[in-house]
Amino acid sequence: MGVTIDLLLNAIASGILLGGLYAAVSLGVSISFGMLDIVNIAHPAFVILGSFVAYIANTTLGADPLLTSIVVAPVFYALGALVFQVYYVSFERHGRDSLRGLAFFFGLMFITEVGLILVFGVDYRSVQTAYIGPSLNFGEVGIPLRLLVPCVASLALLATIQLFLRRSFTGRAILAVAQNQVALQFQGADPIRIRRIAFALSIATAAIAGALLIIIQPIEPSVDRDYIGRVFAVCVLGGMGSIPGTLLAGLILGIAESFTATFYGPSWAPAVSFGLLLLTLAIRPAGLLGR
Amino acid sequence: MSSLRIANLSAGYGAVQVLHDVSLSVEDGETVALLGTNGNGKSTLIHAVIGRVAPTAGSILLEIDGTTHQLAGMKPEAIVALGVAIVPEGRQLFPKLTVEENLLLGAFRKAARPAIATNLALCFETFPRLAERRRQLAGLMSGGEQQMLALARALMSAPKLLLIDEPSVGLAPIIVSRMIETIRELKEQYGLTVLMAEQNFPQAVKIADRGYVIVHGKIAHQGTAAELGDNEMIRRFYLGG
Repeated sequence: MGVTIDLLLNAIASGILLGGLYAAVSLGVSISFGMLDIVNIAHPAFVILGSFVAYIANTTLGADPLLTSIVVAPVFYALGALVFQVYYVSFERHGRDSLRGLAFFFGLMFITEVGLILVFGVDYRSVQTAYIGPSLNFGEVGIPLRLLVPCVASLALLATIQLFLRRSFTGRAILAVAQNQVALQFQGADPIRIRRIAFALSIATAAIAGALLIIIQPIEPSVDRDYIGRVFAVCVLGGMGSIPGTLLAGLILGIAESFTATFYGPSWAPAVSFGLLLLTLAIRPAGLLGR
Repeated sequence: MSSLRIANLSAGYGAVQVLHDVSLSVEDGETVALLGTNGNGKSTLIHAVIGRVAPTAGSILLEIDGTTHQLAGMKPEAIVALGVAIVPEGRQLFPKLTVEENLLLGAFRKAARPAIATNLALCFETFPRLAERRRQLAGLMSGGEQQMLALARALMSAPKLLLIDEPSVGLAPIIVSRMIETIRELKEQYGLTVLMAEQNFPQAVKIADRGYVIVHGKIAHQGTAAELGDNEMIRRFYLGG
């Protein structure tokens, strides 16, 4: 019995820690898909791009991945603004053809992936920091710092974005833009500009999520595919556009995957996200905290 | 000080011309009613002033504190930034945001931001119902409450010119009376300059200083509220009174 309880506690602990990462990786999709109705299937690819930037800075300069990600977040923001502008001019302006938009982001995902493969090859890469290795031990439950640091950073990131959305004028306009663009114009805001800012912000979060990811696990260019199902499952389960929902759903997915991996074997873990996605759509399509 | 001067305005949607050579004015502190039945161009005129409909001819001049702005050709967000606010037809709230968040969005324009706390307090004072429901989602309120919120949200921008488009549509008569009464009080309290489109003639003339009757996109009659109210022909033929 003792072994089972230890296993259980450890599964819960690592599930929560993993859930923090999932929330950070999904945050950008909660903004782009949840608030702007842009099916940015390339978001995990941008996250991997963020991982590689952190990797380069770490191996060449010995820079901390988290610090690197905060420094390059404005560059990702600019990249996001550019991607939005291309998407807007090419697709959205001529009516909302979401299927063609999906093809655009699918293409973007492949270009990013192939670009990374050409530069870095397909080998797994990882970073070196002081907090990779040591663990905090509470009785039988071990909490590796390699998981704890990203989880705490993720909470800080989510809290920052939530504060920005709820407390700033631009943030509230982002929350409003999907509901009624004409009404937003009547308040004196340019809906296209607001959408561009929001999308750029979603890509800026990918820089940080990418750094968190490479702290937790070694990555190679096609790891993004493991995350497509997860990010959309978290976004839908949490409730479209809800940041607290994203956190809650991230934790649920993390714990569910951790349990599945511990008690049924790691090969079942990928089925969990799609299972949760289907269950949500069937039982509560608005998501847990959707308005 | 603000005033609106529309001269020889023509506007429409694509090939369909709705407004033909319309001229009207709203002086500082005045409430002007646009009267007429459905489909005569009242809303098109309001939408031309706010920049949703581009004029094909004519000018829309807004004078604010001695500076004159040509609104024709400007985007809605730029017009709102100048100090024009609208209570749109159908209210156009953000249903999944709270009452308070809707109000705060009303103060998006830069000039309205410094006074946001004062204006929010004033709105809650004027509409105690909104204060009670500040944390509720706007979409879950009754039609009357939503109309109150749309009006309060427009006031949050500290408007120099307030446009009100069909405030009575979809509301029970008793709510309409209360609404009109509220607009009158607000106007007296803040010296608002108001252009209001309304098909409910008896309600509109209660608060209007002057009125214009629009028929088939042209100004058919104009005069003070009393003159329009006394005109038997207007009542019978154009307003169904």
